[in-house]
Amino acid sequence: MVAFVACCLHISVQMCLSNLSPNTLGRFCILLGILSFFGSCSEDPEIQSYSITPEYDGPVIVWKLPDHWGENPELSGPLAGSFHVKTDSGPKGRIGVMPFREAVSSLEITNMFGMELGYQGFNQESLNQVLQVKKIEGKNFDWIRLTERVQSENPNTALLAILRNDQDTWLFPFIADAQLINAEMESFTNFLGSIIARAGKKEIRAVVPALPPPPVPTASGNPTWETPKHWLPGKASSMRVGSFLVQDGNGMELDFSITTFPGDVGGLLPNINRWLGQVNLPEVNLNSQSKYVSEIIIDEKSAQLLIAENEEKSVYGALYFGPSQSWFFKLIGDSELARVEKENFLTLLSTVCFHDH
Amino acid sequence: MCANSRKNKSPFSLGVRKKAFPWLVPLSSVRLTLVLLSLSMVLIFVATLEQVRIGIRGAQAEYFESFFGIWYYPTEFWGGSFLNFIPLPIPGGYLLGGLLILNLIAAFITRFQMTYKKMGIQIIHLGIILLLIGQMVTQAIQVESRMQINKGETSNYLERFHGVELVFTDITDASESKVVAIPEEMLEVGRTLNTPKFPLKVRVKSFGPNCNFDLKESGENRGNITAGVDRGVGVSSNLSITPIEEDFSAEGVNFSYAVFELLDKSESLGTWTAVAHPAGNSRWESIHPKLAGLSFQPIRYDGRLWGMELRAKREYLPFSIELLGIENEFYQGTDIPHNFESHINLNLESGQKRKALVYMNTPLRHAGKTFYQYQMNKAADYSVFQVIRNPSWLVPYIACILVSIGLLWQFSFHLISFLRKQAKAAPAV
Repeated sequence: MVAFVACCLHISVQMCLSNLSPNTLGRFCILLGILSFFGSCSEDPEIQSYSITPEYDGPVIVWKLPDHWGENPELSGPLAGSFHVKTDSGPKGRIGVMPFREAVSSLEITNMFGMELGYQGFNQESLNQVLQVKKIEGKNFDWIRLTERVQSENPNTALLAILRNDQDTWLFPFIADAQLINAEMESFTNFLGSIIARAGKKEIRAVVPALPPPPVPTASGNPTWETPKHWLPGKASSMRVGSFLVQDGNGMELDFSITTFPGDVGGLLPNINRWLGQVNLPEVNLNSQSKYVSEIIIDEKSAQLLIAENEEKSVYGALYFGPSQSWFFKLIGDSELARVEKENFLTLLSTVCFHDH
Repeated sequence: MCANSRKNKSPFSLGVRKKAFPWLVPLSSVRLTLVLLSLSMVLIFVATLEQVRIGIRGAQAEYFESFFGIWYYPTEFWGGSFLNFIPLPIPGGYLLGGLLILNLIAAFITRFQMTYKKMGIQIIHLGIILLLIGQMVTQAIQVESRMQINKGETSNYLERFHGVELVFTDITDASESKVVAIPEEMLEVGRTLNTPKFPLKVRVKSFGPNCNFDLKESGENRGNITAGVDRGVGVSSNLSITPIEEDFSAEGVNFSYAVFELLDKSESLGTWTAVAHPAGNSRWESIHPKLAGLSFQPIRYDGRLWGMELRAKREYLPFSIELLGIENEFYQGTDIPHNFESHINLNLESGQKRKALVYMNTPLRHAGKTFYQYQMNKAADYSVFQVIRNPSWLVPYIACILVSIGLLWQFSFHLISFLRKQAKAAPAV
């Protein structure tokens, strides 16, 4: 735009030098002004602010810290927040924010902390003896105070405040010596009063303590799928949950396999690079993997779809990294036949059911 | 009074117009027209060559949306190894287009005769002027965006194809979220930004339109760009960023990045890094679980929870579109698309719903925007619309109608004159 105006000015100057009257020059400038207007219709950047319908579907937890509390920068494990009390002798105590799924009971939580403090283990009856319900700013907290089972004037203490919503549980542990906890009781109560906790559609990321890991699928727990009728049983292997062979009348072949492994087997990138190597395509990195990989939904789960076509050989694959198992669906072979069977492959993926929900 | 004298006295006569606008006479030169058209051909030739090197968007920005562009003689051409170092200025689209409009208007005023006989030519040129002006207006105000919707879901915002924004969203309230968006044009290194709508100041430490990124091992050096990052995903993933040139090619994907510090008055709360995924920040999780947080980096301040992200510029709409279903058809045995179509519900501002079918070359038009079927992924069950806002979209149609009328008029006039002459010349039987 600046260049365009400069051009217009340049022409105007030339007109001036041609002994034109000011009136004539004025008309010329008006004409140029109208034309240059169109080039100047751009918006100046500015900070925008507006309100929208909430889009964030994760859990929300907000608090107001007392002035003399500090935030611990490193969060570890299931902690969503971690704080300390500032004292003249340095930071003391540890206050945490821990999100849990609904399934976690006060008994499980109490046992988790009780073991650390020398308790043998609570049952519902013994828990009821230490459990109170405290109402703070309209919210009901399960209130459990555990003191270390040692002879001490100032024993270590865990004050556990548990907030339950419809779909989630929030634990606020305050771990310090008894004196500090007593001194900070008002601040801790104000802190709990400031809490806004809301569950989201997304599962809370923190893990449930002491729950057994998900079982490894057995033969009976394998997924099911619908195979195109013209696909033939393929080579058997202990690694394969499913194996099929696709042939046309011209000698072209495709091999389809379903395999599963514990863990993520190196994750997405190494696996797609391994598959790309099998069809003689160069490896990709995090930036360029989107050339071949896109998202796909398999049985309501987010998985990754690989479409890699080379001149002679192609590979189509889907990779689903579950909580404890990884599942790989791979169709590999002659490119020409692969293109024909692509739709069947995608249809098969849409019929996969893991039978876990 | 003779006919010539009467003609000269008319306020619209050629003589009067030339006298009134003598300064337009040199601009109305046919030679100038020819020179400009020749230069336009050179421009198109050069830009087409350059498109191979820098992509359509690059060529468009360099040569058509500029006053002039610099071209280096290709090394592949004869003598290229010797001539390649010489920078050749090429007149740009704005310059040639602007001058062509001036030239046409000047000719219209000082050379064209306002007679019925010549009216066709005048209408044709009026149509061409309109076409050129319409293109300039389109260039200035047209906005292209995309809208991606998953099947069964509803979307009420558009994302720009190019350009990002650093966004802070207050998600504390369950009923509504407050958004503060800083456009990339304001993310100048060293600049401190503040607005009454956001309680903290934002100091920009680094920003770039594209980068390579890598997750370093714990304790490994992250490099200069993210060395000072001490909060958020940049720390938890030990994210290293290497700036690279923006990719203008059609297949190019650009990962914009920003490193910024948040200040409570003058006290630093820490330095974060944010990277925008070109396909949407929800894709980060699939690239690496440690990067999932790039779609939402939380910061709590004064009892409010804010989420931070760098994302494609968005425009929220007063209406929304729900994707009911998608269909894609390919020519048998090929990957060549035959038809893509999206079945949608248009949820209007008034609360009413309207069903519509959007498919190739049959867009949905609503509220000054046109939604074209753009991409589709049946496997992942989503559809993407290209959304164009162009208030001057009718101008080219009007211009073409004017040119057609002009041509029809001019040829009809000559045809009728010719037929009359023929009729007169024909011997009486």
